[in-house]
Amino acid sequence: MSDFIDTKKPFSGLSALLYIDAKLVIPIMIITLIGLVTIFSSSSGDLNLVLKQLTRIMIGIITMILIAQVNPDNLKLFAPILYLFTVFLLALVLLFGVGNTADRWLDLYIIRFQPSELMKILVPLMLATFYADKPLPPKVTYILIAILIVLIPVFMIMRQPDLGTALLIGMSGAIAILLAGMSFRFFLAGVFSAASLIPILWLSMHQYQKQRVLTFFNPESDPMGSGYQLMQSKIALGSGGFFGKGFFNGSQSKLGFVPERSTDFIFTAFGEEFGYLGVIILMSMYLFIALRGLSISIKATDNFGRILTGALSLTIFVYVLVNVGMVIGFLPVVGAPLPFMSYGGTSMVTLFATIGMIMSVKSHQRILRK
Amino acid sequence: MKTKARKDSIRKRKNIEEKYSWDRLSDSDHERKSHKARALIATVIVISLFLLYMVKLYRVQVSDHEYYSVKSDSNRIRIRPIQATRGIIYDRKGSILADNISTFNLIVKKELIKDKKDFLKKLGLLVNLDKNIIESIEKQYKNRRLKDITIIEDITLDDYSKIAVDQYILPIIELSPKSKRRYNFPESISHLMGYVGKVSNNDLDSPVVKIHEGMTEIGKLGVERFYQNILSGQPGFEKLETDAKGEVIRILETKEPIRGRDVVLTIDLELQNFIYEKVKKKEGAVIVMNPNNGDVLAFVSFPGYDLNLFTKSISNQQYTDLLNDIRRPLINRATTGQYPPGSTLKPFIGMIALEQGIIDANKHVNCDGAYELGNHKRPFRCWKKDGHGDANLSYALTQSCDVFFYRVAELTGIDSISEHLYKYGFGERTYIDLYGEKSGLIPDRKWKLKTKALPWYPGETLNVGIGQGYFLATPMQLTLATASLATNGETYTPHLLLGDKNNKTNEISVYKHKNNKFSTLFKHPDYLEIVKHAMWRVVNEKRVGTASSMKKIRNIEFAGKTGTAQVYNLDKGKTGTKRLQDHALFISYAPFELPEIVVTVVVENGGGGSATAAPIARDIIEYYMDKKSTSVSMYE
Repeated sequence: MSDFIDTKKPFSGLSALLYIDAKLVIPIMIITLIGLVTIFSSSSGDLNLVLKQLTRIMIGIITMILIAQVNPDNLKLFAPILYLFTVFLLALVLLFGVGNTADRWLDLYIIRFQPSELMKILVPLMLATFYADKPLPPKVTYILIAILIVLIPVFMIMRQPDLGTALLIGMSGAIAILLAGMSFRFFLAGVFSAASLIPILWLSMHQYQKQRVLTFFNPESDPMGSGYQLMQSKIALGSGGFFGKGFFNGSQSKLGFVPERSTDFIFTAFGEEFGYLGVIILMSMYLFIALRGLSISIKATDNFGRILTGALSLTIFVYVLVNVGMVIGFLPVVGAPLPFMSYGGTSMVTLFATIGMIMSVKSHQRILRK
Repeated sequence: MKTKARKDSIRKRKNIEEKYSWDRLSDSDHERKSHKARALIATVIVISLFLLYMVKLYRVQVSDHEYYSVKSDSNRIRIRPIQATRGIIYDRKGSILADNISTFNLIVKKELIKDKKDFLKKLGLLVNLDKNIIESIEKQYKNRRLKDITIIEDITLDDYSKIAVDQYILPIIELSPKSKRRYNFPESISHLMGYVGKVSNNDLDSPVVKIHEGMTEIGKLGVERFYQNILSGQPGFEKLETDAKGEVIRILETKEPIRGRDVVLTIDLELQNFIYEKVKKKEGAVIVMNPNNGDVLAFVSFPGYDLNLFTKSISNQQYTDLLNDIRRPLINRATTGQYPPGSTLKPFIGMIALEQGIIDANKHVNCDGAYELGNHKRPFRCWKKDGHGDANLSYALTQSCDVFFYRVAELTGIDSISEHLYKYGFGERTYIDLYGEKSGLIPDRKWKLKTKALPWYPGETLNVGIGQGYFLATPMQLTLATASLATNGETYTPHLLLGDKNNKTNEISVYKHKNNKFSTLFKHPDYLEIVKHAMWRVVNEKRVGTASSMKKIRNIEFAGKTGTAQVYNLDKGKTGTKRLQDHALFISYAPFELPEIVVTVVVENGGGGSATAAPIARDIIEYYMDKKSTSVSMYE
C-alpha cells in the first residue's frame, strides 16, 4: 500500500520548509541583481532608484514565498473572486483613472497600482481553475466561455488604452487554452478570425499607437521621430559589441539617447554595457526559467497545475520575447517591461507572485504512482 | 480475512479521498500524455525562439558592431571649432588699422522656444523688431541644423543692459560672446584694407585662399584678402561629448587655435588720413609711393565706405544704397579705375621718341593751335587755341603742347609707341599685393582689329600721343611709370606689405623689396634729363609751367606733369552736369634731386589737372616733407 501514494516530499532543507524551488529562484535572483546593476548605471549612479527597486524586489520575494505556501486548492478557490474583483477595478480605472496620457493607474490612497498588471496572472489562473474539473480536451462551449474570460479584461485594458498589456494578456489566455488541449485546428480558425478583426482594431487604435506600428514596419522613415527610439536602441546594442562598453560606460543610455533606459529599454542599457556576452547570460537565465516552468508543468499531477504552471511560465517567456523583440526591432514598440529587470513596482510584484504560484503547484503536488 | 482487508482498503481509500477531495485521482493517462505532448511542443518553440533571438542579437551586437559604433560616436561626439584670433594690421608707424574686439550676439536656444508666435510677441516688447529681424529669425527657425537663433548681432553691453531690465518677460534670451573685426579708419583705408566676412561658396572655390576646417570668416577684399593666409591663423577645435539634448557633458579633446600673424603695412596712416580728408568729397584716387623700394605710403580711393558695416551682416538696404550710390564708393579706383591719362602720358611719349631717335632736344614743331593730318577733314586741336608757336620737347612738355605731341606721335607711329609704352609698366598689372587689379590698355593695330574689326587709323595714333583715345591706365600704373622716371629706370613692384610678425614669438619676416627690382635700360641718360627737367619746369617755371602757379614748398622742389583727360563721350558740356567734366590728373615726384615719393592724383570730372589735381599733390608733398623728420618707421 505504501507505494500507492508517495507522500514523501521531493524537497529537503530550507526550500522544502518554504515550499520554494531553488532552480527557479536562483536564475531569478541573478536577473534581479543584473537589473539593479543596470538601473544603477543607467541612472548614472542614483542609489535612491536602486533602493526603491530593491524594496520592490523584497516585497516581491515575500509575496512569492507567501503564495508558495498556499495550497493550489485554495488558489483555485480564490481565483474567481480575485478575477471578478480585478475586472471591477479595471472598470474603476476606466472611470476614475490617474495619469495623463494612458490612464492605467488606480489610486488606492495607500498605493497606486495598475490592475491590468494583476490581470496578467489572474487570467491564466482563472482559466486553469475553469478547466480544472472539466474533461480535456475541452468541449467547444468551454472553449468559448474561456475565450470570454480572456476577452473581457482584454477589451477593458485596450480601452485604457494599453494595447501592449491587452495583447500580452490575450496571448497568455491563448496559451492557457492551448495547453488545456484545444485542438490546433480550432486554434488556427480562431487566429484567422482574429486576423480578420485587425482592420476594426486598427480603426479603434489611437493615433500614437498607429504611428508605433507604422514605424515598426519602416523604422528609418523618420529617424528623428517615432523611429528614433528603435534606431537609438539598436545603436546602443550594436555599439556594445561582444564584450560591451563596460559597466558605467554606456554612452548611448547614459547620455539619454536611449529612451526609458531603466524601464522598457533596460535590456538595451544592459546590452550596451555588457555586450553580447552579457546578453547570452541574461537570455539563458530566462530560457532556464521557462524550461524549468514547463518541466514543472509536465510533472504536475492535475489539469489545474499543468495549465497554470505551463501558461504562467510561457507567459513570462513571452514577455521577455516581446520586450527584447521590441528593442531589437522584431516587434513594434508596445511598452512592455522586461520581467524581473525593468524598474517598476506592480510588474515586479506580480511576476514574483507568478513564480510563487508555480512553486505552490510544484511543492504541493502528490505524485501518483500506479 | 480477505474481505476484511479488502474492506479496510476501500475505507482507507475513501478516507483519503474525503480528506483531500482528490480530483487528481481522476487524472487520466490520456490527459497527462496529451498535456505532455503540448508542453514538449511548447519547449521546442521556446528553444527555437530563443535561438532566433540570439542570432538576431548576434547580428546587431557582433556582426554590425562597427557600423553601430560609428553611429554611437557620431551621436555623442560634437566638434566645436574655436576661431583663431586674426592678426592685427598696423600701419608702418605702428598705428592699428584693424584689430579685433569682443562683442555679443543676442541669441536664443531653439529648443527653449515653446510657442513661436508668443516668443515673437514677447521679443517685440524687448527689442525693436523690424521686418529684417523677423525674417532672419524665421529663416533660422526653419534651418534644422541650427540649434541657436541669433536675434541681434554685435550688441554692446550697454544695449543689453537696457534689454536686461525687462528680461523677465522673456528669460530664455541670452548673450553669446564673439570676436569681431574692427577698422579704425574705415573710410580712409577702405579700398586698401578690404574687410572680413563669412566664408562663402566663392571662397571655397578660390585657389588663392586656404580654408581651414572650421573657419567661418575670411578676408573678402584688399589686404585682408591678399594676406588672408597669413592673417587668419588656424582654428582649433574642441571635441565634446554631448547628451541627447545637445548639452555638453565633458570636453574630450582640445586643440588650441593658432593665432594669425600680425601684418605691418607700408601705409603711413597719418598721410593716408590727411589725403582722405582733403579729397573725400571728390571721386578719384591718390597714390603716394616711395620709388626707391616700392613702399606704398598712401593708397586712397575716394570716396571710401564704412568697412565696419560689412563686419556684421550688412542689411540689404545699406548694401543696395552703396551699390547704387552715384559716386560709386565701392569701386577701388586706384587699381581698378582705368582712365585716359591725358597729358600725363606726354613725358613717356617724349622719352620714346627721343630713345627711338625720332626727335632730339632741338627738334622744333610749330604750333598754331591745330594740327592738320593728311586727308582728315577736321584738324587736331591744341588746348591753346592761339598755339604755342615754335616748341621743342622741353617747352612742349612744360606747356603741355598738344600739337608737338601730335607731330611726334605721327612720326613715331603706333607700333613703336605701343611697343615701348610697356617698358614703363603700362598695359600690364603692376602686381601690387591686391587682387582684381586692372591692366589698363595699350591699343595697337592687332587689338583694334580683334576688338573692333577695323584697321588702325592714323588719327588714332595722334590721340594716343596726347594720352587720349583708346589708351587707358590705372592710377597705380601711372605711379609706377612716374617712379621709373624718378629713379632713372630702377623700379620696384609696388607693395603694401612691410612685414609680418608672429604675435607670440615676435619673430618678424620683412618684405624684401630687392627681390622685386626691375630695371628699364635708358640708352642715353641725357634724354631722361631732358624730360625730368621739363617736368621740373612744369612746376617751377613761373608763368610757363602748367602747374607753376602753386605756392612753393619752402626750399623743396619737385617735378610733375599735369593732365586733363577728356571724358570719352563728353558732349561738349551741353547737359552741363558734373558727370561729363574732364578728369584732372597729376603725376609728380619729390624732392626733385633725390626723389623720396611719387605722388599720383586722379580726380574724376575734376576739370583741369593744373587747377584741381596738382594743388592736391603739392599739399601732400608738403605734408610728407613736414612730417618726415619727426616720424620713424616700425622697422627702420
